[in-house]
Amino acid sequence: MKQKADVLQGTLALMVLKTLDVLGPLHGYGIARRIEQISGDLLAVNQGTVYPVLLKLEQEGAITSEWGASENNRRARFYRLTREGHKQLQVETQDWEQTAAIIARFFEAKAEDLS
Amino acid sequence: MRSLRSFLSRLGHLVTRRAQDERLREEIEGHIALQTEAHLRAGLSPIEARRQAMLQFGGVEAMKQDYRARRGLPFIENLLGDLRNAGRSISRMPGLAAVIIVSLAIGIGVNTSIFSWIQLMLFQPMPAVSGAANFLLVEPRTETGGYAGASWLEYRDLQKQVSALRDIVASQIVPFNVGERGQTERTHGQLVSGNYFSALELKPAIGRFIRPEEAERPGTEPVVVISYDYWQTRFRGAPEALGQELRVNERDLIVIGVAPREFQGTMVPLKFELWVPATMAPALLGGTRDLEDRTIRAFSLIGMLKPGAMRQEAQAELSTAMAQLARDYPEASAGIGGEILTFWKAPRGPQRMLISGLAVLQGVMLLLLLAVCGNTANLMLARGSTRQREMAVRVALGAGHWRIVSLVLSENMLLALLGASLGAAIAVWGTTALRVAPLIGAFPIQFQTRVDEFTLVFAMLLGAGCGLIFSAAPALHLARLDPQDGLRSSPNTPPRSRARRVLMGTEVGLAMVVLIAAALFLQSFRAASQTDPRFRPEGVLLASYDLSGRNPDDASEREFAARLLERLRALPDVEAAAIATNVPLDLHGIPARSFTVEGRVRTEAGQDRAITNTVTPGYFKVMAIPLIEGKDFADIRDKAAPAQAIVNEEFVRRYLNGAKAIGRRLQTRNANFTIAGVARNSVYAAFGEPAQPAIYLSYRDRPASEGEIHLRTRSGNETALASEARAVLRDLDPMLPLYDVRTFSQHIERNLYLRRIPARMFAVLGPLLLGLAAIGIYAVVSYAVARRTREIGVRLTFGATSQRVVLQIILENLGAIASGTAVGWLLALLISLHAIPNGDFDVPAFVGVPAILLGVATLACWIPAWRASRIDPMAALRHE
Repeated sequence: MKQKADVLQGTLALMVLKTLDVLGPLHGYGIARRIEQISGDLLAVNQGTVYPVLLKLEQEGAITSEWGASENNRRARFYRLTREGHKQLQVETQDWEQTAAIIARFFEAKAEDLS
Repeated sequence: MRSLRSFLSRLGHLVTRRAQDERLREEIEGHIALQTEAHLRAGLSPIEARRQAMLQFGGVEAMKQDYRARRGLPFIENLLGDLRNAGRSISRMPGLAAVIIVSLAIGIGVNTSIFSWIQLMLFQPMPAVSGAANFLLVEPRTETGGYAGASWLEYRDLQKQVSALRDIVASQIVPFNVGERGQTERTHGQLVSGNYFSALELKPAIGRFIRPEEAERPGTEPVVVISYDYWQTRFRGAPEALGQELRVNERDLIVIGVAPREFQGTMVPLKFELWVPATMAPALLGGTRDLEDRTIRAFSLIGMLKPGAMRQEAQAELSTAMAQLARDYPEASAGIGGEILTFWKAPRGPQRMLISGLAVLQGVMLLLLLAVCGNTANLMLARGSTRQREMAVRVALGAGHWRIVSLVLSENMLLALLGASLGAAIAVWGTTALRVAPLIGAFPIQFQTRVDEFTLVFAMLLGAGCGLIFSAAPALHLARLDPQDGLRSSPNTPPRSRARRVLMGTEVGLAMVVLIAAALFLQSFRAASQTDPRFRPEGVLLASYDLSGRNPDDASEREFAARLLERLRALPDVEAAAIATNVPLDLHGIPARSFTVEGRVRTEAGQDRAITNTVTPGYFKVMAIPLIEGKDFADIRDKAAPAQAIVNEEFVRRYLNGAKAIGRRLQTRNANFTIAGVARNSVYAAFGEPAQPAIYLSYRDRPASEGEIHLRTRSGNETALASEARAVLRDLDPMLPLYDVRTFSQHIERNLYLRRIPARMFAVLGPLLLGLAAIGIYAVVSYAVARRTREIGVRLTFGATSQRVVLQIILENLGAIASGTAVGWLLALLISLHAIPNGDFDVPAFVGVPAILLGVATLACWIPAWRASRIDPMAALRHE
């Protein structure tokens, strides 16, 4: 159980970064909604879980935040990717793609390839 | 990098915690509001919209928990929480906290002061010289184990031959007479080798130091380096002091430089003011042959190991070199080896003696601190028990045992560190008091003790150690607590007081040891200051003169003494006058010399030794020591009489079996003497000493260049004689200062000075310790009694008298106290037997101290017991 949550947290961070990269500055709700929309029903996480992830990214300097007005004119905290965040996103995207590619090759491999 | 930034940011969050909480709350609220609106737009009812929004968001508290854990540093947050808690709980017990903090502060303060002293002697033995502790002493050593000192030529040889040491430095203590005719002042200096300052790696405050070539050939460069203090007092710190002439031993020396502020020479704690090239010796000391005569061993050598060299190499080279010297110069060096010594083991100067004394003192004080810890542990344990319920609630709510331990620990640590801080403040005060230079004997002495980072760390470590010690018992006790048990409204378990009793017993035992030590010490000190010295010090003035700067011969010394005494005796207020080479009860002691006497055959190997003092006729009259047989020495100018000696009663008893002494021949100091009289025994080295055999020789036969003038006044006001005596000496020799002028009482006082410090310490600490023990006992008993209120109530209801209850409580606790006392008593006895092998059994200390201690202990038991017995039985039964 716990292990799954950890994995999730790592991928969740990547999702948050990518979301901010694509959509620009966004508040927590927007990020959570976006992740929900894209992953559809496949990822059943509570919206609240983005906040610890946002905090972690902010502490690491990948994103910054400031107060702004949301679409319904409420005060909301907007998160924005920093230059470092961009770099981190690039690196992690690469890593991810590499990992995915390796795994994919494993799945494609047949018995005769390994002999 | 990322983790560091993260850490810093987390650290920052500790401070802005509240604002952060607010921010998160607002974000969550906004989030849910946005989601609710979305649901509303989708057509849900307001209530359902919000419910859905909340569901989607998930567990708010769990998320917050996660968020917080990520945000700050939970470990530090817990610690801060514990500290806040500790602060609150300490402020709820101000009285108890004050007792604990102050007692710890005293213990830690005293220990830190002593430590800073020891530290100074061991690690910074030469102020202003960095790495001074790395210097080694190079000591020629005689077969009998005496440290002979090195001659100048020997120094030159060793410098070349001991290559494991770089830059061996030679120095010699010299008393100088500084100033113009008629107003000279005695000032202590060192004759030094040319590399002295460069080897010590010193930088002058102003000017320059002695150059190596200035100490090459005899009598070349009349230069002098002065100490910073001397520069300040004599030249008012003016830079013009450089190049000025200073009249030293009737020679003009040019001031070339000022030593760094704290530098006081290479024989700490002696404080020197002048440094002169060793090659000036013949010019300054009346043509002494120091520089060419190998039998004059006047120099001390120190040196530092070359990088990479081992001490054993230096020792081996020194042994080889000394063996070679013994072959080459048998008349000067036969039987003399060499030894490399650690700096603080210096055979000259008071370092070694002080360090061993201080080590003992430190041991006793650490014991005291341990007693304070025991006491505090007891108090905390008693208090901890009253908090059992609080702790039980915490455990029941899920606090781990480690959390409970850390809670107790942080409370005690806070107390301990507060105590340590106050202790450090006490140490600062204590060490500055030590810096004041006490003048002991003729030598100025200065200790440059200070509280540095090292000592502060020591104080804090001591505090932390104490905290750990006195936390252990309460923390363990509370951590083992069964929450069910603690929460029960009326504890049915019997009070677990074994730990407390053991502690109480231990503490009483420790108090016993220290108190007996204190009593013995005070006893010996009082005995010392009250015993009759068997001479009369009242009304005697002492003063010293020194002709050594003139390199006088026997005849001129004798003549000088004779004329000086004639003039002094002519003064109207002088009843009697004499000169001696030694004064009894001197801090530096009186030399004991070997001798043989006619009619005495030694059965066992070895030599007979007796204290020797060389005196002029009239000495026994001044000192009021009666001559039992024979008569005083022949007149100082008498050339006909044979060489004479006077011995004391103990000498006759011990070496002549009480036979007639007069007329017997005696050999000592390579000469023959005839015993002319027997003097009564008196005190020589220390008060309370067993009778010592003594030989007095006559100044007429063995004149000396230094003399201690003894004047007995007619009027009883000896201080008034000082100026007259000065005038007489100035009249005789305007260049000769009269120094170290003091009354005999002052002289004795100085001797007692060093003994008095520990005596005073014990006098203060003894009662303090007694008080601590009493508080400890009181705490334990009153706690135990409080827990047994109901039992006491039952007893009283069933007709027990209150006296009976009191008696029972006292007896229960006296058991532990008595066993502690017994163990402490035995320990003290063992220690005293070990320390004073053939001392008497001191009845007041070994009977009186336990009596007082048990009395106080009983009182400390009685007060809470009596209070318990006064309770209304009905109230007691309703207690819970």
